[in-house]
Order: sequence, then C-alpha cells, then structure tokens
Amino acid sequence: MSVQRRIEQAVRGGERAAVLTVIGGDVAAAGTRVGAKLFVLEGGGEVLGDGPRSLVALAEALIRREKNHVIEHEGLNVFVEIVAPPPRIAVFGAVDTAESLCAMAKQLGWRTIVADARARFATHERLPSADEIIVAWPEEALAQIKPDHQTAIVVLSHDEKFDLPAIIGALGTDCFYIGALGSRKNQEKRRVRLLEAGIAEEQLSRICGPCGLDLGADSQPETALSILAEAVAIRAGRDGGRLQGSKGRIHVGVE
Amino acid sequence: MKDVLADIERLRARGEKIAIATVVASRRSAPRPVGSKLVVSESGEIFGSVSGGCVESDVYQNAQEVIASGEAKLVSYGFSDDQAWSVGLPCGGEIDIFIEPLEPEART
Repeated sequence: MSVQRRIEQAVRGGERAAVLTVIGGDVAAAGTRVGAKLFVLEGGGEVLGDGPRSLVALAEALIRREKNHVIEHEGLNVFVEIVAPPPRIAVFGAVDTAESLCAMAKQLGWRTIVADARARFATHERLPSADEIIVAWPEEALAQIKPDHQTAIVVLSHDEKFDLPAIIGALGTDCFYIGALGSRKNQEKRRVRLLEAGIAEEQLSRICGPCGLDLGADSQPETALSILAEAVAIRAGRDGGRLQGSKGRIHVGVE
Repeated sequence: MKDVLADIERLRARGEKIAIATVVASRRSAPRPVGSKLVVSESGEIFGSVSGGCVESDVYQNAQEVIASGEAKLVSYGFSDDQAWSVGLPCGGEIDIFIEPLEPEART
C-alpha cells in the first residue's frame, strides 16, 4: 500500500499517526530526497515509506503533542503532520442543552456522545445530533467511552446521583475538559460532596463549574456556545477572553 | 487531509495526476492553519484552500509545474518575500507551502 493510501485509511478509520515529510535541508548528506515521507502509526507498530528511519523515535512524542509543524532533524527540515480522530464531547444528561451542545460540537467537527441512564430521555428523536447515545449509569458509560486527552466531558443532569459519579469518573481520566452545569450554590454543595468522596482539593481545579464563558447566555444554543467556547479555549491553552486588546497570537498554530 | 480526502479519491479514480499543496509553516498571522491543503489536478481542478484566497492562483501555477516535473518544492509567501510585490498576504503574515506530486496509481 502506498503511503498516501495508508494516510487516507488512517484518516477515515480515526487512527492516530504521524506523517513526516522531508521538505528541505541537506538532503544529499542525509541520503534522502525532498518529498521523502514516513508514516508512523501511534504505538510505533507500523512504519511505512521512504523517509529517514531515524525519525521513528520522535514520532510518539510528536503524536502526543498533536501539532502540525516543521522540525529540524539531522540537518533536514521535516514537516510533521498529525493524523488524529476529531475531539469528542461526552455529555452526561440527555437534557435539551445536550442536543444544542451536540449540534454545535458537530459544527466544530467533533464527535458527539450523550449518556443517560434514563432510556426515556436518551433517544435519537430527542438528540438527533448525537453520534452515539449510551443508556447507562455514568461509570458504565465512561467505561465504554474511554475518555482520552482529546475528550471533553460535560455534566448536565442537575441530579447528584448522575453528576457525582460522572465527575468522579471524569477526574480519573485524561480528558482535557470537565464542565459541570449548575448554580454557584450547587457548585459549592458539589464541592463538599466531592471532598467527602475522597477527591483531593487540587483535583477539583480541573472542574469547570459553572461551566462556560461569561457570554450572558440565555437560550440553550447560547449556553452551548458558552460551554463549547470554554472547552475550545482550554484545549488551545487559552483564557477565552476577547481578542481586542489581547497581546498573544490570534491563531494557536501560528509561531 | 480530511477536507480534501474525497477530492483526492475522485481524481485518483479518474487516473489524473495530482499535486497536493500543504501549509507547513505560518508566521505572524495566518488565514489557514498549518496542515491546510489545496489539491490541484492535471486537468486544472482546484479543491481546498491554503489561504483566504490570496495566494491560491500562484500555488496553482506552481502545482502545475510540480505535476509536470514530478519534483516536490517549497514556496513561501509574505511581506518579506521577493514575490511580495505580486503575490502577498494582506494580513501581513508569511506562509510556507510544500507542494508535492501524487502519481496516479496503476489500475488493477
């Protein structure tokens, strides 16, 4: 199979991989050519192509960083392109905000999952934008979802018996965002409950609650926008303020 | 890659020669993220984008050369570039674009 075909297969199949292409530098000294390419699957179990094999050792860290950029390697300029499945959002609580969140997350190209133990609520009719609906309690749903560093978790149910196990479970994963809806009063109650449940104080700072940016959101779609805006900012390592007056780069990928 | 996947497959199915242009670096400001792709076919079709439309026609010309020669090349656009008088980015950014050929595969 050609490298290009394998890349396409990885994109379609939602696999994680690094594609390393020599784009310049002293190619003669390195015994390679401009355009030489290497495909390295996450885990290093599969390497394909005519690019310098010494790049394979770098691949795992590059995949983890998930950033397209040029690196210098043994006198060569190498473009690193990461193939990765889209981020996922897992929403706990099949409430109406869940549908708004899923609809908007799909616009971002994310994969959407809704979990709720109540089969009456967790239906495709109520949640047409959910790619996946899991009718289960949070522990079981989390075991199915297997959240990774590209997963956002949003807890919406307003019901302690769903919310608490979902948050505690989420804290046990690598997920990049944990959002919890609820009034400030309920956030404080939840905080006490989580501490009682043995969650360490410093772990609690991972929870965004009340979740969302301060947009003055009123309707369900506005609330969804506020929550997703916060998740996007956190994923990019940004604060989520206004661009006007901010000093940093507008786009996160720009050097 | 995802954005232009279907286009690549369609062009390949027709047995066309293709060049793929990829934004490999951007500095200061950038209309499209690093990794964005433009696909150009031998017969002149264009899919995807590498800027807000500022440099696409020059990339297209370069892509046709790459298709003809079979040799990949790196082109740069921006204020500091020699070409800035003709092809530049109004946002004041600089971008490097790598253009590589994709040979048609033998039909089986």
